Amino acid sequence: MKVTPTSPAPAVEAVALRKDFGPIHAVDGIDMALTPGRIYGLLGPNGSGKTTLIRLLVGLASATSGTARVLGVDMPSRPNLARIGYMTQADGIYPELSVWENLTFFAALYGQTDKAELLRTLELVELRGRTGTPAQDLSGGMRRRLSMACALAHHPAVIFLDEPTVGVDPALRVQFWNHFHRLAADGATLVVSSHVMDEADRCDELLFIRDGHVLAQGTPAELRARTGTDNLETAFLQFAGETAATAGAATATTPTANETPR
Amino acid sequence: MNPLRVAAVFRRIVAQFRRDPRSLALLFVAPLAIIALLGWVLSSAQATSARIAVVDEASGPAGSVVANRLQSALDGQPGIVLDKSVIDDATARQALEDKKLDLVVVLPADFSAQNRKIELLTLGLNPTGEAAVIPAVQQALVGALLDSAGAVLPTVERQTVYGSPDATQLDSLAPVVVGFFAYFFVFILTGISFLRERIGGTLERLLATPVSRAEIVLGYSLGFGFFATLQVAIVMAFVLGRLDVPALGPVPAFAIGLGVRTAGNPLVAYLLVLVLGLGAVSLGIFLSTFARTELQILQFIPIVIVPQGLLGGFFWPIDQLPALLQPVARILPVTYAIDGLRQVMIAGAGLDSAQVLLDLGVLVAIAAFFVVLAAGTIRREVA
Repeated sequence: MKVTPTSPAPAVEAVALRKDFGPIHAVDGIDMALTPGRIYGLLGPNGSGKTTLIRLLVGLASATSGTARVLGVDMPSRPNLARIGYMTQADGIYPELSVWENLTFFAALYGQTDKAELLRTLELVELRGRTGTPAQDLSGGMRRRLSMACALAHHPAVIFLDEPTVGVDPALRVQFWNHFHRLAADGATLVVSSHVMDEADRCDELLFIRDGHVLAQGTPAELRARTGTDNLETAFLQFAGETAATAGAATATTPTANETPR
Repeated sequence: MNPLRVAAVFRRIVAQFRRDPRSLALLFVAPLAIIALLGWVLSSAQATSARIAVVDEASGPAGSVVANRLQSALDGQPGIVLDKSVIDDATARQALEDKKLDLVVVLPADFSAQNRKIELLTLGLNPTGEAAVIPAVQQALVGALLDSAGAVLPTVERQTVYGSPDATQLDSLAPVVVGFFAYFFVFILTGISFLRERIGGTLERLLATPVSRAEIVLGYSLGFGFFATLQVAIVMAFVLGRLDVPALGPVPAFAIGLGVRTAGNPLVAYLLVLVLGLGAVSLGIFLSTFARTELQILQFIPIVIVPQGLLGGFFWPIDQLPALLQPVARILPVTYAIDGLRQVMIAGAGLDSAQVLLDLGVLVAIAAFFVVLAAGTIRREVA
């Protein structure tokens, strides 16, 4: 799959986007343009700025400088949120409420009240048989699934998923990703953050993030080729400039030049 | 403003409460239990009588004349039990310590026709309670001394402009209690609910939807206003109503409800409490910003609730507060609610009363002020 940087209208765009918390540059001048209908993985260690970047793009944080744009609209924009789905890192559901009450509540805020449609969303996350169960009685994985259903019920065009598969068992994780691909095939743009490299290969394109910077962007195959490794973890470390200390043996056989990330 | 989103927030709050029996109990059972207890204590406290002895330490005839007249004046007075077995100061003090007497009238050794100083001796552990009996003793004293001078004591009958002179402490406290409970419980429950939104990640999620701050605050106000309405209706019914249950077998007769008289329209009283409660919703949302745990919400009680109880006219009229505290009392919402409720329930005022309208107006202004503050804390970073 080839990236087309000249795509007419990026679904998600950042221009010199920066967010400071006091002396800390959580997001340090990020430029990016994400094409509609693809799955983008934000990869980086904890504290690298992934969540802050997503919050800026969703409009939950205001940028220190620069521009965040979703579907051509500068964020923050409250009306534009109707076209965006956001699954937070925390489950963000009401423990006393049942599965159905949680879903219908969030869906109603987005204007989605079609019962059949909501039931289909529950089928998708395999919670159709649990509609009356209070969220606090669900397992951790089920709560993640409910949280995802609440983010997807209104069929958003752009979906931000902050570590969606944490606590989800491997079999269900496969289903999640299959569903992400179906959504992308239907035209949605997905931005999935993770610090687990083995999920990275399921993304159409990756952005390696560290210390508020994008170290590199490309398809998993491209990033491996650029670093000459068969392992995205090693590739990440190379882009992060940590190869000498930690992955010397792996890089010794790869003369491919490290590209300067942009 | 989208009414569907407001309705969604309202429905969610109602659903959450329905699934939280402890909070429901806090809202509905706790105030009833406390008010029932208060009613019980206050109505029984009035039935007790004071045990009094008169001790004549003076040796002269003046002492014994006054002592005898005093004894006959006190004897048989309602609420007073005269103990004639105690005749000297030492026994009287011992009887006070043993809780066998409440008050001793002592005619000291130097009492004479010229030196008519009389001592009233109490234990001193509970000055307020002990002082309650003193007016009756003083009246008997005046009678005893006037009679000795050959004059006739006029009878005194008390009248009041509002209510009745027989109004009990309960009658004057009941309106206050209704308002105060609504304020207290609504504040605590909103504060904790909204804190959970903040720390549980649901607020982050709410703010990622098209719902506006105003819609959230309005939805919350409707949700908690709904429960405050139910609470006030139940509490008012309990305070104003009275159902006498006759004795049945081993169960003695008892009454449900306090049967407090209200002079005015209960709906006007309810309106005052509702506006007070809406202010409490927004105050709870606002203060939840400054808490990280539920315990920290409870820490606001001594800062926010207790001063309103002390200064709001609950125990002492505002005019009797120290000069420095009076302006403080005049910015507290509870002050206006208590004044309004007393105007309505005791003086029988309605919405045509300037005083009630002023109280209501100030409560609306305070509620509006906190609505703006609450909305301001919900989405700090997003326009």
